[in-house]
Amino acid sequence: MLEIYFSYFKRQPLASIPVFLTLLPLLLIWQRKAYRDNAFLILGIYLMVKFVIDFIMFDWASHKRNTVVLYNFNVPVRYVLSSLIFYQKLETRRFKNWILASIPVFILFSIWDTLHTNPSLADLHNHKMVLYSTTVESLLMLFWVLLYFYNTIRALKIPNLLTYPFFWVCSGLLIYYSSFLFIAPVFHYSSKWEEWLEIGFLTYVPYMFESVSIILFSIGIAQFPDERYAK
Amino acid sequence: MQNNEELKLALLIALIAMLMMAFFVISFVMYYQKRRFEEEKKINDIEKNYNRLLLDTALNSEETERRRIAQDLHDDIGTMLSLTKLSLNQLSKLVNASENEKQEQIMKKSQSLVEETILHVRRITRDLVPTTLERFGLLEAIEEFIDKLEEDNNLVISFHSNTVEFPRQGQKLELTLYRIMQELVNNAIKHASCSSIEISLEIENEMIGLRVTDNGIGFDPEKIKENNLAGLGLLGIESRLAIVNGTVQYEKPAKGTGSSACARIPVMPMSENKPEPLHPFRREKVNA
Repeated sequence: MLEIYFSYFKRQPLASIPVFLTLLPLLLIWQRKAYRDNAFLILGIYLMVKFVIDFIMFDWASHKRNTVVLYNFNVPVRYVLSSLIFYQKLETRRFKNWILASIPVFILFSIWDTLHTNPSLADLHNHKMVLYSTTVESLLMLFWVLLYFYNTIRALKIPNLLTYPFFWVCSGLLIYYSSFLFIAPVFHYSSKWEEWLEIGFLTYVPYMFESVSIILFSIGIAQFPDERYAK
Repeated sequence: MQNNEELKLALLIALIAMLMMAFFVISFVMYYQKRRFEEEKKINDIEKNYNRLLLDTALNSEETERRRIAQDLHDDIGTMLSLTKLSLNQLSKLVNASENEKQEQIMKKSQSLVEETILHVRRITRDLVPTTLERFGLLEAIEEFIDKLEEDNNLVISFHSNTVEFPRQGQKLELTLYRIMQELVNNAIKHASCSSIEISLEIENEMIGLRVTDNGIGFDPEKIKENNLAGLGLLGIESRLAIVNGTVQYEKPAKGTGSSACARIPVMPMSENKPEPLHPFRREKVNA
């Protein structure tokens, strides 16, 4: 079993690294007790879910099975958890309501997108990646991040952003979704079992920036001062 | 095949553009936030300086007004009372010669009333302008203040300093410390129902510490702050300290009941310039 994993890791290091790198912010959340802050508790759950799904995908990929069904399943789950982080952090009631309203709409949309791109759900071997959901997810997440930045600038409550944990989390999300926005719809055509579209190293770009965002999350969580979050 | 290459190039350009935008947004947020904080800080500093200037002006006006009143009392009323006393003495001789007992009694009463009034005027003048402070310094002024209080009240007041010769400080600082000491002692007498007061004046590491401790009923400084119960006296102390970058702390003494207030002010040695004359109006009058 481990040999298969190692072999896959050697063949696909860029795709495998973020799977295990996810453990770093998780460990930091635990060590810094950042889970006492609701937003970071949700981030912890998000990272745990991400790790489990990514690891199953890693296992399936190393056994040469189509992992796209898991990816499609992960899209609404990922959006629900990451948008709930912003629900906790944004202070304006109106913006919170927007986030809450976007969650069921996006879940329904991604279900429709999955069914639309995969009329035969039972055929897991030829399961295709969603066409629109990831782009919509990227747009929505970019919007929440920019809205949070706008509120931060207006409120002027954080004296030093570099030592503020959530700023790093936002930066990570901004970089990840910015890199993903235009590549996401192309994945529908490139991530196929047969007759795929060859896009070369661009296939690995989201994985690279996923690693970057996880490192930024870790830097942010490492900024948690113990005394503040032990209360 | 060519379409595929064009698609890759387009994706690459879009990717680079989006990443540039992301980095720009992050940098902009950091830069803008920092700039706005600096601007806020500048505005706060200006407001703080302005408020300090206002307070300083208000306290200076108060001191000038005290001097003017003291001067008027000393020069006008004091002189007139002395003349009245002199006249009464002359009149007394005439009354004594007439050997009318009732007239003599009235005369003596009038004389004693005038003498008492002269004493009161002197006391008020001294309270208004602490001449000893300006002539001899803080230690002597505090000692004089204590002597006077002990005469008038049934109180035990002790005073000690960690230096025998307390170095002279700037006029403003000495006056601030004196007024704060006066206010704290008066507060203890008025509100604490105490029987003894301890005053200490220490100079250490470029800081002057003035502590006034009493054995009265005490008070909870936190409650006073929370409920905005601080009276004019305590607010006045804080205002005076704000001008000389000082701080005040109220605490409960380590043993027994009562309260303790400790004011700390950075040392401000006396400038080489001569201090402002005690009675600025006198010179004007003489010149006139």
